[in-house]
Amino acid sequence: MKLSAEKITRNYFRQGKGTNFFTAVAPVDFTLEEGKLTELVGRSGSGKTTFINMLAGLLTPTEGRVLLDGRDLYAMDDNERSAVRSGSIGVIPQGQTGLQGLTVLENVLIPSAMYGGSKTKTELAHKLLEKMGIDDLCDVYSNELSGGELRRMAIARALINEPKIIIADEPTADLDDDTTKQVMELFKSKATEGCSVLIVTHERESMKYADLIYKMENGKLPKE
Amino acid sequence: MGFSFNFALKNIRRRPFRSVSLAVIVLFLSFTLFVGAYTIISLQNGLGSYRARLGADIVVVPNSAKGHGSVDDILLQGITGTYYMSGKDGAKIASTSGVQAASKQFFLTSAKASCCSSRVQIIGFDPKTDFSVMPWIGESYSGEIGDGDVVVGAEVTVPDNRLLKFYGENYHVAAVLEKTGTGLDTAVYATMNTVRQMAEDASNLLDTAPYKGVDPQQAASAVLIKVEDGYSPEEVADDINIHITKVQATPARSMVAKISGGLEGVSKIIGALVGIIWVLAVAVLLIVFAMLTNERRKEFAVLRVMGASQKMLFSVMWIESLVISLIGAAAGLACGAAVAIPLGTTLKGALELPFLSPNPGVMSVLCAAALLISAGAGAVVALISAARITGSETALLIREDA
Repeated sequence: MKLSAEKITRNYFRQGKGTNFFTAVAPVDFTLEEGKLTELVGRSGSGKTTFINMLAGLLTPTEGRVLLDGRDLYAMDDNERSAVRSGSIGVIPQGQTGLQGLTVLENVLIPSAMYGGSKTKTELAHKLLEKMGIDDLCDVYSNELSGGELRRMAIARALINEPKIIIADEPTADLDDDTTKQVMELFKSKATEGCSVLIVTHERESMKYADLIYKMENGKLPKE
Repeated sequence: MGFSFNFALKNIRRRPFRSVSLAVIVLFLSFTLFVGAYTIISLQNGLGSYRARLGADIVVVPNSAKGHGSVDDILLQGITGTYYMSGKDGAKIASTSGVQAASKQFFLTSAKASCCSSRVQIIGFDPKTDFSVMPWIGESYSGEIGDGDVVVGAEVTVPDNRLLKFYGENYHVAAVLEKTGTGLDTAVYATMNTVRQMAEDASNLLDTAPYKGVDPQQAASAVLIKVEDGYSPEEVADDINIHITKVQATPARSMVAKISGGLEGVSKIIGALVGIIWVLAVAVLLIVFAMLTNERRKEFAVLRVMGASQKMLFSVMWIESLVISLIGAAAGLACGAAVAIPLGTTLKGALELPFLSPNPGVMSVLCAAALLISAGAGAVVALISAARITGSETALLIREDA
């Protein structure tokens, strides 16, 4: 499954003195390579998150197109784009994203329940949680988890639909070295299986797993 | 829909405080709507029933009927009263020009003593001339009312042996009348012969009986009049008031208008109160839903990241708010019913207005309407808040909450 961007740009409107537009991402061409683990690095505020959100179908570019197997993601209506994203793109956003009121297992199973009808993936969910080292917490409510446990739960959740594309924004930010290694090895194995994996990271330790590294600077994306 | 439904139900169950708080606000909506509408409808029913039971164009009573125990008191509150005009006056009334039919009624009050089952107003009517009581009795009893029989209002307690004792004699209860919501529900009806018997017994038993010496065959407590076509009740009533002293003729229209005016005022007050409570409750709902939706931005953003469409989020919100609102509205109806029915009796006494509860059919429609309107209001208010958020870009929602 091929994900690419054609001259995508994102401007934000900034209110205040001298109201004007701020360009977070300048026109960028990009192709996420299949079977490879691609990492995106750059200083804070360089536009990395905005860029991957546009790639993930979560933020409409001001200009340009995001193509998934040649189809413009943003030309689809919301229902279609949501269904396509749910089945094909696993997203791990920044921050803590546990849904309160649901157990760890329920959190992980949610994406599979959205379009899966009665097909449950409980077995796969347990496997993923086991890989993340938190299967023993499957019946615990997400608000009782630590930051690191929540990150690992979010990773398992993003993988439950076995997406061909994985996009993660600082997935190892709250994790210790051992768990970071575990997670990066999982992403690496996914890439080896043929998935396209794109990770935003600040951590040098994670970079050794990368097949390709891009550095974002002021909204532009020269290859490192 | 399966996901939205299951997710919404889980949210309701796992967030009991939030769910119960919202349900309580909707409870207030349905409670006020039900109680308000029930009261207004019951007052209107009571007025309709009062108008129907009056059944005459003019009511003539002796001047002594003014004040406590007047026809109004008897009709509206069931206060007992005894006053009489002479047979001569009755005959004059019947011969007044414009009178098509005149029917005498004789009021008797049972005593609160061992001689009587209970203290009630007894109304004697003449089956030959009556055009007011018989049609009403005909609605619940098709048989003949013989001498010694009584027909009782809906609120009179009838013993298992169907015998009521008045002044030492037992009388057979031939029928129990349909509820009217007026004072007539506590009255007992009998033919003039029966009432005359009761009056004679009363005179023998009680020295102070007000009808001692009064002949029910001749005297009357009230004369009900139907006017001929071409005459107005006001004209005929004026004619009677001018030419026959010691009696007071009142057009039924003005009696109804007096009640109607009072009812209109009460209905307006109730309507205004319901309106104010609704405006406040809907405003509170709007604020609460807006706050809750704001609090849930992160949750919605996460669901969007996972692939939920705007339509799905909208469905989740819609189902959640609808289920909570339905539960709240149903609880409000239950509380409303528990309060409104006893409140009706209190209101009837306090407002001095006829009060007749709606029949089961109208009650079902009222319940369904209160349920749907209240639950609908809750759900619509929730959706207004949801619409603001589901249209936002997911990435921006995440960023706002980061």
